Amino acid sequence: MLNVKQVSKIYEGKIAYPALTDINLTIDEGEFVGIMGPSGSGKTTLLNMIATIDEPTTGEILINGHNPHQLKKDALAKFRRRELGFVFQDFNLLHTLTVEENIVLPLTLDGKKVKEMKQKANEIAEKLGISTIMKKRTYEISGGQAQRAAVARAMIHGPKLLLADEPTGNLDSKSSRDVMEMLEDINKKERTTMMLVTHDAQAASYCNRVVFIRDGKFYSEIHRGDNRQAFFQKIIDTLSLMGGDAHDLSTIRV
Amino acid sequence: MTFRQFAFNNVIRNKRLYAAYFLSSLFTVMVFFTFSIFANHPALSGNEMNGSVAKGMNISAGIIYVFSFFFILYSMSSFLQSRKREFGLLMIQGMSMKQIRLMVFLENMLIGFFATLGGIFLGVVFAKGILLIAENVLIIESALPFYFPTQAIIMTFVSFIVLFFLISLFVTYVLRSKKLIELIKGNKISKGEPKANLFLTLLAVLLLGIGYTTALLAKGTMVVAVMLPVIIVVIIGTYLLFTQLSVYIIGKLRKKESIFWFKTNMLLFSDLAFRMKDNARTFFMVAMVSTVAFSAIGTLFGFQSFLTSGIKDVNATTFSYKSSEKETEKQDVEFINQTLKEEKITADSEHMEMHYYEIADDSRLITKESDFNAFASLINEKQVEVKDGQVIIVKYEGPNFGQKSHLPEESIPLDSGVTLKPNEETVISSRALPVNDSYYIVSDSDYEKLSEPIQNQSFYAWQVTGGESGIMAASEKLYNHIERYKIMSVEYEIYEIMKFYGPILFVGLFIGIVFFVSAGSFLYFRLYMDLDEDKQKFLSISKMGLTVKELKKVLNRQTAILFFAPIIVALVHGAVALTALSHLFFYSLFKESVMVLGVFLLIQIIYFFIVRHFYTKQIKNVL
Repeated sequence: MLNVKQVSKIYEGKIAYPALTDINLTIDEGEFVGIMGPSGSGKTTLLNMIATIDEPTTGEILINGHNPHQLKKDALAKFRRRELGFVFQDFNLLHTLTVEENIVLPLTLDGKKVKEMKQKANEIAEKLGISTIMKKRTYEISGGQAQRAAVARAMIHGPKLLLADEPTGNLDSKSSRDVMEMLEDINKKERTTMMLVTHDAQAASYCNRVVFIRDGKFYSEIHRGDNRQAFFQKIIDTLSLMGGDAHDLSTIRV
Repeated sequence: MTFRQFAFNNVIRNKRLYAAYFLSSLFTVMVFFTFSIFANHPALSGNEMNGSVAKGMNISAGIIYVFSFFFILYSMSSFLQSRKREFGLLMIQGMSMKQIRLMVFLENMLIGFFATLGGIFLGVVFAKGILLIAENVLIIESALPFYFPTQAIIMTFVSFIVLFFLISLFVTYVLRSKKLIELIKGNKISKGEPKANLFLTLLAVLLLGIGYTTALLAKGTMVVAVMLPVIIVVIIGTYLLFTQLSVYIIGKLRKKESIFWFKTNMLLFSDLAFRMKDNARTFFMVAMVSTVAFSAIGTLFGFQSFLTSGIKDVNATTFSYKSSEKETEKQDVEFINQTLKEEKITADSEHMEMHYYEIADDSRLITKESDFNAFASLINEKQVEVKDGQVIIVKYEGPNFGQKSHLPEESIPLDSGVTLKPNEETVISSRALPVNDSYYIVSDSDYEKLSEPIQNQSFYAWQVTGGESGIMAASEKLYNHIERYKIMSVEYEIYEIMKFYGPILFVGLFIGIVFFVSAGSFLYFRLYMDLDEDKQKFLSISKMGLTVKELKKVLNRQTAILFFAPIIVALVHGAVALTALSHLFFYSLFKESVMVLGVFLLIQIIYFFIVRHFYTKQIKNVL
């Protein structure tokens, strides 16, 4: 599904700074992969390149066997709109729109029929439990609700790949757990491939697999067995082994 | 770092944020100042006619001042609104509300002081430049020399320092009892989408309807009588149009999902609704200011063409001479012919006796076929053929100076006892004879049978065929020698009018242009204030996938609505005002109105393209 081959990213500047070096990553159809690492390790850079917002300096990224970076700007925008879904740390909902309008936004840009959009929005809202807040404005809802709305927006067009950048970063622990359970649920039921970048070991423990990077390089990778609790412990262990600063780890909460 | 240093640095190091507010203040000062330069111009005080012009200008200056006050107050409150978060942050750091007020007060006085100075300086430079151009391009013969406008400077400076001081005091009101949490959440919360009130929406339509109908139906002196009420009704109507009707329409559109959910419409309309409160006020300001500009320029332009066309329409020949004094007539005509020879002007000339007869208590000119044809051929117009017993009416089409507008229908009694009855089928229009009313042509033989005329006038006309360059010099001699009411030279008369009217026309044009430019700038600043928010918004949408074409489409429409909504309203207002004006003079200003309004629309379109280009570029840079 997703193939990251020998990707490096160097930020040009007065002093060239290598953000990522020789990263290889393969994500299979329906997989749920977490990317972890300390601050400045290059997690978000990697995500941005997969999201086609940023370009790799060397190496290539294939999504379903195609390299989206070769597309023209407008085609790329349409590719993002149709094939990818995004969830951001700060939700990125437009505060001038209602929740429902925010959710259907990607579809309206594609000129879909209102009836179809309505139906899809209602379906997904039902699934994510936000039917009651559809007519509300973004400043009238809680963070957890906002993130669900954002997930709904990312999922409404049935993307092949869902990319989440610290989706729990702005949420309290209860909301975090709700959002992560929801993502896990979508991953299982819809078989949507997902990639998650996070600091939060709790959030990462919902993934099938967690990839660790440090200083822009691949560090290690661990797989989840049947037990999420044990997986969580393994993640904590790896993080402390990796020697990230203590404050990079969120406090343990179960 | 002392507190004052902090306040100062806060402004200096945050230039971009303050720029919009500063520039709109500066422009407002400049508009007022340039206006008062001309209002206090020495050339415009003195004789009575100019005195009333100056009075009118002072009243306008007062109106501008009131408008400026509200505009600056509004700019400041929206500026403070965008800084709520900053205030919240400062309060978290332990700044007291009193200190914040002091800070904003200091900032505001600082900005106000420099905006006043800058506006005055720019105004002086601008006025000087315009006057230089004017002296070279227009024929105003240094009637409006540049003067150092001490009085205007003092007046502007004092008025605006007072204005900024008052506005700074209003800060207390704007920042009253805000909870810290509200400040920190600040710009995330809508400034409130204004709710449309159905009653007020209908009232807007009603007021505009009444205003327009009254303005369009009023004729003659009625126009003056209804002017003030109509202006007030239309101003209120316009305000409601933008604050209520537009909100109502957008609200309706939002509810209609087949439109609102169509492609990029959602992005466009939601922002429109969100910013409607800010936009409505700007739109109102801009529409009113532009209307004033359009009407002022249209009026002056129309009035000029009214005066000159009055002369041109009636007098087709280059020179003409009219007299009922037999003694001087011969001598004068001799002198005219002599002068034309001296100035090497060749001309065809004709002579006739004009006889006025009393018909239905009115004195009316009746002329014979041969006389009329002689003068018609002089200016190459169609000749007429009049059978015995027939009457041809020459319809008067020039500007109205109080004549009866309907065609004369009275029959003409002849000495033989027969009466000639004019009928409507034989109406022609011709400029052959310079008469300010409709007149009759009868056949030569019928003419002999007319009774005694009540008034006799000898009329001579010269149509120049060569040596045109000498006309002005010849006219000057003729006007010095012959009484003014007898002689008429079209070119000289128009020159005289232009000489007197030029400065007034110029001042009007200048003020109109300043108004129009500032209206454009208000719009630009409005757009500018939303720039950061727009950048943020388009950045997050483009992550999800927004093509450049779609981005351009949204920005294009957004800017177009901002630029053309108020201007179109102003154009309609202006058109109605000019139509009412033409009813006052019974003189069609259609051509002039179309010209003036068309030029403004064209300028606005160019302005739109420039602003759109830069705005789109700014947004695209962050993506």
